[in-house]
Amino acid sequence: MPTTPDLFYLPITELSARIQSKKLSPVDLTKAYLDRSEKLGPKLNAYARLTPELAMQQAEAAAKEIAHGHYRGPLHGIPYAAKDLLATKGIPTTWGAKPYANQVFDYDAAVIEHLHRVGAILIGKASMIELAGGMGYRFAYASLQGEAKNPWNTQCWTCGSSSGSGAIVAAGLAAFAIGTETFGSIVCPSAFCGVSGLRPTYGRVSRYGAMSLCPSLDKIGPMARSAEDCARVFSAIAGHDIKDRGTVPLDKGAFTYSPSLDLKSRQLKIGWLTNAWKSLEPGVDTVVAAAHTAVRRFFPGTRDTTLPTGPWEEAANIIIAAEGAASFRELIRSGRIGELHDPLGKVAGYVNETIPAADYLQANKIRQLLQKKIDTLFESYDVLVAPTLPVTAPPLDVSLDATFGFSDSVGAAGNLCGLPALSVPCGFTAKTMPVGLNFIAKAGDDFAVILAARTFQQHTDHHRRHPKL
Amino acid sequence: MSNAKFSRREFARRAAIASAATLVPATAFSTTQPAPLPTPQQPANTPPLPSASQTEADNRTQLVLTEYGSHLTDDQKSEIARISANVQRQLDTLRKFPTENGDDPAIYLKPLMEREKKPTPNPATAKPAATKPAPTAAKN
Repeated sequence: MPTTPDLFYLPITELSARIQSKKLSPVDLTKAYLDRSEKLGPKLNAYARLTPELAMQQAEAAAKEIAHGHYRGPLHGIPYAAKDLLATKGIPTTWGAKPYANQVFDYDAAVIEHLHRVGAILIGKASMIELAGGMGYRFAYASLQGEAKNPWNTQCWTCGSSSGSGAIVAAGLAAFAIGTETFGSIVCPSAFCGVSGLRPTYGRVSRYGAMSLCPSLDKIGPMARSAEDCARVFSAIAGHDIKDRGTVPLDKGAFTYSPSLDLKSRQLKIGWLTNAWKSLEPGVDTVVAAAHTAVRRFFPGTRDTTLPTGPWEEAANIIIAAEGAASFRELIRSGRIGELHDPLGKVAGYVNETIPAADYLQANKIRQLLQKKIDTLFESYDVLVAPTLPVTAPPLDVSLDATFGFSDSVGAAGNLCGLPALSVPCGFTAKTMPVGLNFIAKAGDDFAVILAARTFQQHTDHHRRHPKL
Repeated sequence: MSNAKFSRREFARRAAIASAATLVPATAFSTTQPAPLPTPQQPANTPPLPSASQTEADNRTQLVLTEYGSHLTDDQKSEIARISANVQRQLDTLRKFPTENGDDPAIYLKPLMEREKKPTPNPATAKPAATKPAPTAAKN
């Protein structure tokens, strides 16, 4: 099968149409992605490992089924990568951290099972920040796999903690990837890498078999070429799971996405958040100004609004620190936390372990008050929109303290309240670095962010641009 | 309402120290004199903590050093002091935020109903690889 760079960047919608019509074989597609991943993956530190044997087995099974007329749906025969904190039976799952370098589970995470059931093909485990950043980190090299390099500029970082997932999708090494977010780990790499990433409503996707960092904030979601691709993956992985008691009830968990979804089926009320960031980096500001104009054009009636003020970041940080210390207590108490790569990650757990329970509960009281305030805001708006980040990807070797020294109330509020968000590329700086635009909706209304982001992408082509590799 | 002899902040500070202390095993409370606290390296534009908060942050640092000091280099001890101060700033902000007794924390127990008592088919912990035992895998 002839492969062209275009093939690697085709959206799932197009790949699945070719596979269903038997114009494209899952075996050929998987081989092509594996070859490209073997060639480019190490240059980007994108993978923890490739899984070629499993991938080819799954691809051959898919090809056989499709040949016999058993087509499972839009992900059948589609290759993907999973962040290396999702358990995969018999394959090492490192959590990006040296103390877990040889860890092997004897079962698959629920998400891996779901994707297997719909015929998707696992071609590798994506690299990540150690323990998803749960012990803190200050450098891009805070990973067992080394610093993930941004396909748009390999001297720059991808963001974390779903670092490899961002690089893989941006470099066209797989059709989509699975990431996770506790606070920013899907939307940030999506923005820095110029891909579309969906952080679903908290509890919409089962975390069974996923590394637990902060059980009250951890979420799993897709990173892909477009909002529509994210929707297709999301519909395969969403749903209540008896094995994850954090999942939403049966009647609220599942998500159905129909290709015939009418864009005008629902007139969205859009609010543009004017206080998301204190300031925007030069270059980002012009891209965001153009995106603001575009949003007003695509969604008539868009109004400026503001996020309620409050100690959202402090609440999020304390909750993550306290729950993270509990999740990795054995690692901290044994002193093996010192095996982590990052200087901050080596010691922060010791302090986090001392956070008083009363303060943890105070943070959770504030969280509940914030939920009510945000819910009030969603009485006026279906979707809030803001730049995903005020900066572009930083160089690999700088301290992230300097780069991320800004306040992120939108990220804190969105994650504290379990709100769905979808970051899509909204333009590029003069240095050809992507800028992301974030669509946020009330809890449970994942459909609204997908609809809004899809509408934006119907009118723009930023998501169709790809890095030269 | 009791006749409190110290301020709410002081109460919170003492409570914080007391509850943090419960996390540390008895071996941590030796009779030896604590080592001098390292000086945290803060960014130039970071304002100093109020003295009660600084005391609480210092106590937290001391607690960590008593328990884990033998694992740590001097630089790491300074880092601990810096992180303690940062945590303190965030705790101070949260404590100042007005909440009422009746405000619910975002934490609820989900009673284990009959329908949820089905056995989990797979273990929720890692199993060591057959050939390469993973020393910490089974603990996570």
